[in-house]
Amino acid sequence: MRKFTFNGVIGGGLIAALVITALIGVFWTPYDPSALGFTSRLAAPGAAHWLGTDEFGRDVASRLMIGARASVWICCLTVAFAVVCGTLIGLISGYARGWVDGVIMAVNNALLAFPGILLALGLLAVFGANQYGIIFALGIAYTPSMARVVRGAVLSLREREFIEASRVMGNGEIYTMLRHILPNCLAPITVLATSMFGWAILSESALSFLGLGVPPPAPTWGNMLAAGRPFIEQAVWLGFFPGLCIALTLLGINLLGDALRDKLDPRMRGLK
Amino acid sequence: MTGSSLLSVRDLSLAVSHNGNQVVKSVSFDVGAGEIVGIVGESGSGKTLATRAIIGLIPPAVRHVGGTISYRGRDVLSLKDRDLRQLRGGEIGVVFQEPMTSLNPSMTIGRQLEEGLILHTKKSADERRAAILDMLKRVGLREPERALVAYPHEFSGGMRQRIMLASVMLLKPALLIADEPTTALDAVVQRDVMELMVELTKAEGTAVLLISHDLPMVARYTDRFVVMEKGVIVEQGQTADILSAPEHPYTRKLLSSLPFRAAPRKLDMSRTPMVSARNIVVEYPGRKGLFRKQAPKRALHGVSVDIHVGEVVALVGGSGSGKTTLGRTIAGLVAQSEGEILFQGRERSADWRDYRLNCQMVFQDPYSSLDPRMTIQALVEEALRLVPDLDGAAKRKRALDTLDEVGLAGDFANRYPHELSGGQRQRVAIARAIARRPKFLIADEPVSALDVTVRAQVLELFSDLQKRYGFSCLFISHDLGVVEQVADRVIVMQDGRIVEQGDRDRIFDQPQEAYTRKLLSAIPALDLNQTGGVTLKWRLEA
Repeated sequence: MRKFTFNGVIGGGLIAALVITALIGVFWTPYDPSALGFTSRLAAPGAAHWLGTDEFGRDVASRLMIGARASVWICCLTVAFAVVCGTLIGLISGYARGWVDGVIMAVNNALLAFPGILLALGLLAVFGANQYGIIFALGIAYTPSMARVVRGAVLSLREREFIEASRVMGNGEIYTMLRHILPNCLAPITVLATSMFGWAILSESALSFLGLGVPPPAPTWGNMLAAGRPFIEQAVWLGFFPGLCIALTLLGINLLGDALRDKLDPRMRGLK
Repeated sequence: MTGSSLLSVRDLSLAVSHNGNQVVKSVSFDVGAGEIVGIVGESGSGKTLATRAIIGLIPPAVRHVGGTISYRGRDVLSLKDRDLRQLRGGEIGVVFQEPMTSLNPSMTIGRQLEEGLILHTKKSADERRAAILDMLKRVGLREPERALVAYPHEFSGGMRQRIMLASVMLLKPALLIADEPTTALDAVVQRDVMELMVELTKAEGTAVLLISHDLPMVARYTDRFVVMEKGVIVEQGQTADILSAPEHPYTRKLLSSLPFRAAPRKLDMSRTPMVSARNIVVEYPGRKGLFRKQAPKRALHGVSVDIHVGEVVALVGGSGSGKTTLGRTIAGLVAQSEGEILFQGRERSADWRDYRLNCQMVFQDPYSSLDPRMTIQALVEEALRLVPDLDGAAKRKRALDTLDEVGLAGDFANRYPHELSGGQRQRVAIARAIARRPKFLIADEPVSALDVTVRAQVLELFSDLQKRYGFSCLFISHDLGVVEQVADRVIVMQDGRIVEQGDRDRIFDQPQEAYTRKLLSAIPALDLNQTGGVTLKWRLEA
């Protein structure tokens, strides 16, 4: 058996590069990311400014490094929030069935009926536009789809004979849920979580774009992308580099997610 | 062989494309016009692949590497797709194993049967309708007019297989390939469908190639058969000759794997029964919906069963007889609406914990009864989790010892279920059930999903363990052959009621009820002879 898969190496490499860059950004950046430079406004990428400067003469590379931290932090927490809450709700709903399931799913479906971004907008209006407001709002917006998927998996799993076998052994419901049902739901959870990561990055950009994200001047990839839009004809790098960062991160996460899912599943062992 | 050969397969070899493994090796056999020929083999013997090749339907991963197939003198393997399509259905009909999936669920029966007629005949719409109605009547559908506009889900498995047969025989093919046509059906229905198939094909002069793992069934209906093992034909000849004097060791092994009656045992029946179920009624609640009301459905109508200490009681019956529901009720997976279940003379709810520790269950499907994400050792150890007075090390040792007892010693402990064969998985399930040393075991069709020779091994293991640990057992099965081998007492169920019960020998030799006789007529009585062969005797329905 090969220890590393192609997906794992590429995905892992991309994510490692991202994390290292974000960590370096905490201690050192080529320039002060908020230092204005009126002499070097909209400078093209070159020796002085690797990735160019924006309309205020701020160094794009430095801002991306700082922004990486904010963006990744927001996404990780958002996805973690949705995974934990969604899985818990889905497990309870699918395992309890009956009226508990009915009530949970009614609320869930009502939430699903709103577009995620609209829901997040409404919630942000309540929580206020800051980093944790975004995390909370997006987390709540994503929870219903996770709950839905987990519930579906639980419903089909709980009819399998090994769940009955567990009951016959005298195992309690909670034990059965955590020991037998949850591990077997991991595959759909991983797949959905990795795609959620993508949605979260994009939604964070969209919210920043609408002015409801992390307030300027603090950089995130999303608000950099948004800020670059008016200058797309004069300075394409303003939009291009944040976009590239987002794309590479999503690619990395999706590849790593696939590799992880295969790695965690004993059935994939010994297969090519 | 009768007359000229209709189908002639010569030295056929098929290999898996990516690694060149030959899965069918130099297979040769003939089918004469109007003849019934059987192919017998276990899973992986290549019997299905060899017959798929005849109609040009081998899967893309398999390649033809040698030999010829000729049908009425034409080389099938070199036919163009268009000619092959003409051959399929029109000349050669096929009935598959799974009646639940071989009919299109979104098309009415009438439309599905008409399809073939439109493709292969020039009949007018009225003639087609008449032909379909006639055929549906012949396969025993009570209301053929209604069936025309019905969908497949409205029929039971046995009925669907009849409809499948009707759709094939409608085109009057010269050859019918029946691939495990009755394996998914229960014993009584199985026999009805086979009898119908033989009758129809005899009337039309259609030759049949019957593929099955069920040797007695093949022997009953064929003139000649072929035995395949691992892609090779090990023996072929007249049915009577092979049965009475098998030449190849594998054929002998197959024959000796058939379930034989064990000697009756003397049991002490005077003690308090281990488990007694009294007047059990199970009702599935109906629907009290706003739009549709459904009456509650009664699955068990007051059934009483006693299982004595050390006794193996078999619960038999067709599908829908309530035998599984009774087993699950006694296991505590289904709640009874009325009645009580006593364990060692006391109501079991008085001490659920004790009952749970002492009552274990083995399920039918070894593929879904083991958690795919746990190792074999973890699976068996889990059964010991709630056992008091055993520390971690003792539990580990008990788990490994039990695995050893079921023949899975060594590195099996660290494997996952998907790395094991069906028989090995069922051994794990048995190990898990007996690891606690239960006093009572419920086995729900424990060997139904297994191949013949593996089934024999698992049954033997089961009997050994039962003798060693002396647990009482409720053995649920639709296969009377298996029951004859393991049971002390037999309970026959039909439609949620007990029809007949008694000692095994009494039930098998002097069945009183018509339903019991019908069940028994589906299985042969076996006698071993000196040459390693058997004599099959069929009990007639009175």
